[in-house]
Amino acid sequence: MTAVDASPSSLSSGPVTLVVPPAASMVRVARLTASSIASIADMSIDDVDDIKIVVSEMITLLIQSGNRSAITMRFEVIENALTVEASTPASSLDLGRNDLALATAVIAAVSDSHEIAFVDDRILMRVVKSNALHPPAPTP
Amino acid sequence: MDSAGIEEVGKNDSIRVSIDSDRTVIAEGDIDLAGGPLLDTAILRLESAEPLVIDLAAVEFIDSSGLRSLLAASRRADGRGTTVVLRKPSAGVLRLLSITGTTEQFQIEESAP
Repeated sequence: MTAVDASPSSLSSGPVTLVVPPAASMVRVARLTASSIASIADMSIDDVDDIKIVVSEMITLLIQSGNRSAITMRFEVIENALTVEASTPASSLDLGRNDLALATAVIAAVSDSHEIAFVDDRILMRVVKSNALHPPAPTP
Repeated sequence: MDSAGIEEVGKNDSIRVSIDSDRTVIAEGDIDLAGGPLLDTAILRLESAEPLVIDLAAVEFIDSSGLRSLLAASRRADGRGTTVVLRKPSAGVLRLLSITGTTEQFQIEESAP
C-alpha cells in the first residue's frame, strides 16, 4: 500500500492547478480548494481566512471582467509563502470600476503583495501570502 | 413559511436567506458572488422596513461582492432617512467592514434586543 503524503512538504513538489468555468458557484469551489492547500501548508487560521478572501476576490474579479472563458488558478508554496496566480481571457480591464477597486483594496489589505495586469488579451493576477507561523527566511 | 414564522426566500450552495416574523432578514452561509443576489432579493422585499435589520450571526464568509449588497442597501436606506442594522455580525464580517472602512455605514447590533 502506498502512503499518502499530506504533509506541508508535499506541496514543495509542485503547484496545484484548478481550472473552473466562470460561474458564481465556482467561487466557493476555489475558496475551499485554497483553504485546503493553505491548511496543508500549515498556515494559521487567520492566514487561511485571508487566503479564502484573496481567492474569492480574485475569481470574482475574473468572472466579472473576463470574456466568459475558463479561469485558471495555480497555487504554489514557495519559501513558506503561498502564491496564487489566476488568469482568464478578456477584452479589457478597468481597475477604476468601483467594484474592482473595492476588490483590489481588499486583496491589498490581506496579502503581502499583489499584481494585476492585462497582457495579450488576458487578465493576469498574482498574490503572495506569507505563512505567519513559518515566515520565509530573511534574505542575507 | 414554517411554524416559527420564518419564510425562506431562497438558498443555493453558498447561502440560505429567510425573513422571520419580526421582518428581519436572516443570512446563513457565505455572502459571495453566488450568495449576494439572494440576499439582495430578501433585502428588496423588506425595503420599507425602518430600520432594515439583517441578522448575520450565521454568516461564515463574506467578500467584497457580498459587501456591495449590504452597502447598496445602506445607500437606499440612507435615501429614505433610515438605516441598516447588522445584527450579530461574525468576526469575518466585522473584519471586512474594518478593512474597507465601511463600518460607519451601518448600525452594528452585537446581540438581539
